[in-house]
Amino acid sequence: MSESGDESEKKQPTNWIQQHPVYQGMKSLEVGDSAQIHAAFLVYMDLSEARHWNEVSYMKSPELEVVLLEGREIEGGPVQTVLPLPVHQNVNHRSLRRVLDRGFPLLLCAVGSDSTLVYQRMTDGLVTPDPPVGPFQDVDRRHQRKRRQQD
Amino acid sequence: MATDDPGNRRPSPLSLSSSFRQGLMSDQISEEQEAESQSHVVAVSLVDSTPLLWRMQDLRAVRGQGLVGALVGSLARVPRQNGRMGRPLQLLQEEQRLLGEQGAIAMATRKQVSEERRSLVFESFDSYRSYEEQTVLALEDKKSSLLRAMTTPTPHTESKHVALRGHLETLDHHFTFPRSGLAVQLSTARAGLTYCPEDRVYLQADRSPRGPVSPQSEAKYQVFRDLRGRGFYLTSAGKFGGDFLVYPGDPLRFHSHFIAICLSLDESMCLLDVLTVARLGSNVKKTVLLCSATPEGGVVYTSLQWSGMV
Repeated sequence: MSESGDESEKKQPTNWIQQHPVYQGMKSLEVGDSAQIHAAFLVYMDLSEARHWNEVSYMKSPELEVVLLEGREIEGGPVQTVLPLPVHQNVNHRSLRRVLDRGFPLLLCAVGSDSTLVYQRMTDGLVTPDPPVGPFQDVDRRHQRKRRQQD
Repeated sequence: MATDDPGNRRPSPLSLSSSFRQGLMSDQISEEQEAESQSHVVAVSLVDSTPLLWRMQDLRAVRGQGLVGALVGSLARVPRQNGRMGRPLQLLQEEQRLLGEQGAIAMATRKQVSEERRSLVFESFDSYRSYEEQTVLALEDKKSSLLRAMTTPTPHTESKHVALRGHLETLDHHFTFPRSGLAVQLSTARAGLTYCPEDRVYLQADRSPRGPVSPQSEAKYQVFRDLRGRGFYLTSAGKFGGDFLVYPGDPLRFHSHFIAICLSLDESMCLLDVLTVARLGSNVKKTVLLCSATPEGGVVYTSLQWSGMV
């Protein structure tokens, strides 16, 4: 009896994803890559439930066979594109350029096998990095000598 | 310019670095010097396929055109360190190619150089102390060191002293001075490093690339030329796992802003590698630049940065 109870409990965690309307909606896009759909779903949940983004939606990218997400980080803010990919998948520069051509700021999200999510910003052109934050202190010779003694 | 005669000038390491900087910083080069550097033809020595520059005016001219290179020589007075390096300046393949396309480079062909060098080597060989003289001197040296070993008050046993004395006595008969121990003085000022305008007449500018150009190196060159054309300074980025480090100005004045990675548009890369290089870039506060040459001849750039979303 307890075994059957355990079994039904074990089935629950996997089934809830497959029964989720968003997941089923993504499946209906017929992208053909179930791993990418699973990744897209995890990112969708992260954006909408954990980070509380607004108006998160999913669509099929016409050129690439992937599910893309769109959303606004803050209400009334700009729309951003999110490209969710399983971490072991390969990408090429051309497909990234195609997603960038949509015209929105792009976030690339790498989804690990343990559902860890890493977001990277991708922009067209040369974006100067933020300078290091001050205040800066020139190390004087006394400190250098002390440091050398400690080493 | 009289001060540029490499035979006479012996810069100390400190003066080399400070005058080097002053001479090479692009914003201090006056306009007429810059015009001169643009028309200057640079003499390149090739060691296998590595292009090297030896003369100060060549280094200055090359820096004036915004090409940095890398110093790879040791300094005579501070040899056992690589914090401050001296001449020669090693050029990147892309830098050499860029100079070649501008017609600003002259290389001695291998046959000419080896003949010149061989004759110069034999010339200097005879001028310095000959093999016989050096043998005699080496024998004297060996005797005096053996004597010193015998007379120093160290806790040697008697047998050791006896052995040394015996060795000293037979030294005259058994001593041989190997040819490999011969000291030869080479006058580098003459050994094929000066390319006066008269010599340049029979030096041919070698414009053909060495061997077949692979698509990767072609892509790298397109990116190099485009970024250099936009005014950036580029150096090799081996320390940061990329192809080039892109500086907004002279590397002596700025930190680099970008780590440029050159790939073709269709080259597939594992997402893990993208994460690796992005992580590295964010740790060193540089933007990772994915660069690809388009078939139309331009270059597209995609900046990769940390999103800030923890």
